[in-house]
Amino acid sequence: MMRSVVILVVGFVLFAGFGPLLAPYDPTAIDIPNRLSPPSAQFLLGTDALGRDILSRLLHGARWSLGLAFLISVISLIIGTAIGLLAALGGKTADWLAMRTTDTFLAFPELVAALVIAGLMGASTWSLIFALSVTGWMRYARVARGIGLSVQSRGYVVQARLAGLPGWSVARWHYLPSLIPSLTVVWTGMFARAILGISALGFLGFGIQPPNPEWGAMLLDARVHMRSTPLQMVWPGLAVVFCVLAINLTGDALRDALAKDGTHE
Amino acid sequence: MIKVFGGLLLRATVVLFGTAILTFALLWHAPGDPAQAIAMARFDALLTEDVIAQVREEVGLNMTFWQAFWAWLGPLLQLDFGNSSVTGRPVWADLQAAISYTFPLALVALGIGLAISIPLAQLATKRPGGWLDRFAVGVASLGNAIPAYWLGLILILIFAVQLAWLPALGASTPAHAVLPALTLGLGVAASLTRIIRSGILEARGQSFLPAVRRRGVSERAVGRDHIAPHAAVPVITVFGLELAFLLEGLVLVEVIFGRPGLGTFLVSAILARDFPQVQAVVVLTALIFVIVNLLIDLIYRVIDPRIGGHDA
Repeated sequence: MMRSVVILVVGFVLFAGFGPLLAPYDPTAIDIPNRLSPPSAQFLLGTDALGRDILSRLLHGARWSLGLAFLISVISLIIGTAIGLLAALGGKTADWLAMRTTDTFLAFPELVAALVIAGLMGASTWSLIFALSVTGWMRYARVARGIGLSVQSRGYVVQARLAGLPGWSVARWHYLPSLIPSLTVVWTGMFARAILGISALGFLGFGIQPPNPEWGAMLLDARVHMRSTPLQMVWPGLAVVFCVLAINLTGDALRDALAKDGTHE
Repeated sequence: MIKVFGGLLLRATVVLFGTAILTFALLWHAPGDPAQAIAMARFDALLTEDVIAQVREEVGLNMTFWQAFWAWLGPLLQLDFGNSSVTGRPVWADLQAAISYTFPLALVALGIGLAISIPLAQLATKRPGGWLDRFAVGVASLGNAIPAYWLGLILILIFAVQLAWLPALGASTPAHAVLPALTLGLGVAASLTRIIRSGILEARGQSFLPAVRRRGVSERAVGRDHIAPHAAVPVITVFGLELAFLLEGLVLVEVIFGRPGLGTFLVSAILARDFPQVQAVVVLTALIFVIVNLLIDLIYRVIDPRIGGHDA
């Protein structure tokens, strides 16, 4: 069942890693005489307002969208798991504090909060990463806490503790195996959300800045030329839909497999 | 029961207080000199140190964090969001105007979402695993992967640019609301269909249903009295998430369709670095959210008494 996730990740790594190598042109090369040209043998998907090849930008954009989404979803995974485990294992006060903090962060719609943070920090790649990571860890925390609490009382963990195993060893051998499946399901969801978040902020102008090819920002450029070259607006959106759909389907399959296993919380 | 409600209420209050601190801290620590930005917005070219210092004094930017926080929170509790740091007008008045555009749109979108997802889920569950079911689930999965801003742009492209049936920009007539409401409604429908579908399937599996049927209760009455209420529980549970989804979608949809609602208000406030305006929107969304989640928790316990006391 983890195989589908591995296939997905490898597929995306290949896509983001080798996609740009297949790009026929430099994604930022301006070519004014050929601006806004329709799809042709020379430019398979046409060119944008500055004459940049859309196919090349799309392929290079995968690196931004998928790479950053991966980074963001992993950062929030680490933050969330740490807070969740702290809540589960750190005693009553720590639990209360950690969970009220989680509730507080959950009280803001993720994308709205990310928009405010990224917007106020000033548009840059770093503020994008910060904004989406800091608004994306809460679900991991809840799941990690739930599993942490249930594992804590299991016989083998109590035994391991009594046997005097060091804390990190108990965590590595007894908590991690229970955490990984459920957290992977949460991760697929958050990975997809990060892709959507990056492109949404890019579209609003608060994300990756030009001339870097990012799908949301490409959509923002294309929108102005909706009348003359409508197809230009279709491609970046399709790229987002394709990636998000692939991740969601993988997540669904994983969740079903875990439900059958009975190990999912 | 009262103890449980009291606990929930206390928790909501703590969370609200937390959101206030978080919101304030975020804007307090935002990089750049807000006084300079405000002075620039107000006086354009006349930017001397004196003017900036005067603005700083006037807007209260020379206080310490906690001084400023309490000075902000006091009036906030009486729903006084202060004045816009750029235009000087009361934030609440502008905010109300924005909400008057956003709220009806959100409501209509929710209506469209329910009007599509409930019948679709019912059709899908007629024969679970049949082609109709697989079609419905497939459409819903696809819908979940389509970002609202792209769907909005494609709808504009088809219905406003190519067919010229509907207007795309502005909010002056009801016709202007059709495409934005459809954009959001389709998104809501996509996310609700699967939840309602599994709700119905689970409700059908309730162990007492064969006994009810054997007593001669009609299939209609079984659906109405035993399946529908049970299937509604997961829908109520995800309502909070649905609201978040709607709010996020609204921001983008309003920007795309040029509607002067809450989302447009927020984006222009961020761009102008109008802190009181940004704070007001953020605090208001958090308030709505916490209240809705509190209500969900309460309703949940009323319709399903099996749900117990205090799970953190």
